[in-house]
Amino acid sequence: MIEVKDITKKFGRKQVLKGVTFTAEKGEITCLIGINGVGKTTILNAIMALTPIKTGEILIDGEKLKPATFNHITFIPDAITVLPQMTIEESMQFMKDYYGTWNDDRAQELLSFFKLKPEEKISSLSKGNTAKANLLLGLALDVDYILMDEPFSGIDMFSREQIADVFTSHLIEDRGVIITTHEIGDIEHLIDKVVLLDDGVVKKQFYTEEIRAAEGKSVIDVMREEYKS
Amino acid sequence: MKSYLRLTEFELGRFFKFYFVLIGLTIVSQLIGVVVVSKGYMSEANKAIFQEGMSKQTFIEQTGPISLLGWMNSIWFLGPIAFCIASLLIYMFLIWYRDWLGKNTFIYRLLMLPTQRINLFFAKATAIFAMVLGLVALQVLLIFIAGIVLEWMVPNEFMSVMSITDLSIAFPYLHTILPATFTEFVLYYSTGLMAVFVFFTAILIERSYRWKGLIFAIGYVALATIFFMSPFIVSMISEEVSLYPLEWLTVQIILGLIVVVASVVVSRYLLAKKITV
Repeated sequence: MIEVKDITKKFGRKQVLKGVTFTAEKGEITCLIGINGVGKTTILNAIMALTPIKTGEILIDGEKLKPATFNHITFIPDAITVLPQMTIEESMQFMKDYYGTWNDDRAQELLSFFKLKPEEKISSLSKGNTAKANLLLGLALDVDYILMDEPFSGIDMFSREQIADVFTSHLIEDRGVIITTHEIGDIEHLIDKVVLLDDGVVKKQFYTEEIRAAEGKSVIDVMREEYKS
Repeated sequence: MKSYLRLTEFELGRFFKFYFVLIGLTIVSQLIGVVVVSKGYMSEANKAIFQEGMSKQTFIEQTGPISLLGWMNSIWFLGPIAFCIASLLIYMFLIWYRDWLGKNTFIYRLLMLPTQRINLFFAKATAIFAMVLGLVALQVLLIFIAGIVLEWMVPNEFMSVMSITDLSIAFPYLHTILPATFTEFVLYYSTGLMAVFVFFTAILIERSYRWKGLIFAIGYVALATIFFMSPFIVSMISEEVSLYPLEWLTVQIILGLIVVVASVVVSRYLLAKKITV
C-alpha cells in the first residue's frame, strides 16, 4: 500500500499542498483528479522523491522510499524519460541494464501491443507513439505499483483507446496504480478509487463503485458537484 | 559498484562523439603545427645560409637550435589545448544541466534508478576525470610523435633534443598539464578532481534550491576555495606562520580531503532529500 500522510509542499510563497492524505492499494486503480495546478503531479513526484515535501510522510508498503524501492514502483511521467537520440530498442536495453525487474517477455508483448518499431528513434516518434513507448518502458517492469501522470495528454483518440486498453489487460492486473488525468471520460469505468483534490487538500475520496451504487453518480457528476460548490 | 561502472560508461558514451572531435582537432592542429614550425625554421636557416652566406654555426648561435619548445609556444599547440580545456569546463556544467533543460526529462530516469543516487555524482565526476586523463595521455603521445616529426624535418645539427620532463620544466603551461614529477602530477590532478566535486556540489545546491540555491552555490564554492587556500591566505596575512614544505603538503592534503568529503556528504544529502526535477 502507498500511504501519503498529511504532506505539505510550497513553491516559493505558494502553498501547493496543504496536508494531503490518502492511500492507494495494490490491485486497485486510484485516480487523482483536480483542476490544473492543484498539485497532482507534485504528489507523484513527491512519492518518487523527485521533489522534497515540507512536512508529512510517504510510505510504500510501510517503508520510506529507498533506492531498492525503485525495483517495486515505477513512475511514468507525461514526457518520456529516456534520451531522444536513443532508439526504442536501446531504451529497452537501458532499462534492462539497470532494473532487475525488467521483464523481456512483457516488453516484447507491449511492443507488439502498441505496434511500435524497435529500431525507431524516440525523437522521431509521434506524440501518441512517444506516450506508448513511455508506457512500455514503465509497464515492462515487474513492479507492484505504477504511477502515471496524464498518460492521455495531447494524444489522438485511437492512441488514447489503445492506452486505455492496457488498464483492462493482464499488464496492469494485481498492481497498484495511481493515475492523474484530465481525460477522466476515457478511463472512468476502469477506476476503483478517486481522490479529488482542491486548493491543496483532498476534498473527497471515494470508491467509484460505491458512489455509483449508493448515489447513482458518475465521477464526472461528483467532480461537477464539488467544484461548483 | 556495478551501477556506478555502468553509469560511468554511459556518461562517457554520451560525450563520445564530441570527445573524438576534440581528439581529432588536437591531433590535426598539433601535427600540422610541428610541420609548420619546423618548415619555418628551416626556411629561415636556408635563407640565412644560402642567400646571406651565413655559416651553420653562426646561424645556430644567433637564432638558437630548434626544439619542441618553439612548437609549444605556437597557437598550433596551445590552441587545441585551450579549446579542450574550455570544452571540458563547459561540459562540467552541461553534464548535469542537459538532463534538466529543455524538453529533456532524462533526470527523472536517472533519479529513479534502483541505485544510490550518489553514484550519479561519482559516475559524472569519473567521466570528466577520465576524459581529462585521456587528453593528457594523448598530449604525451603527441609530444613524442612531434619529436619524431621534428627529427625528420630538421637536420640534427639544428636541433636541441629535450625530454618531456625538460619541456615541462622549461614551459610553464605544459608544466600545469604535465607536471615534471609523479608526485606533482598526483597533487595537481587530485586538486582538479576536488574542484570538480566542489562544482558538482554547487550545481546540486542550485538544482535543489533554484534561485536561492544559486546564491548558496556561489557561497559554497567561495567557502571551499577559501578553506582550501587558507594556508596561503594565512601566510600572506601573518609572516609568523611558516611551514616546512612537507608540513605544507600535509596540511594541504588534509584540507583537500575535508573539502572532498564535505562535497560528497552535501551532495549525497541533496540527491537523496532535496533534489527537484
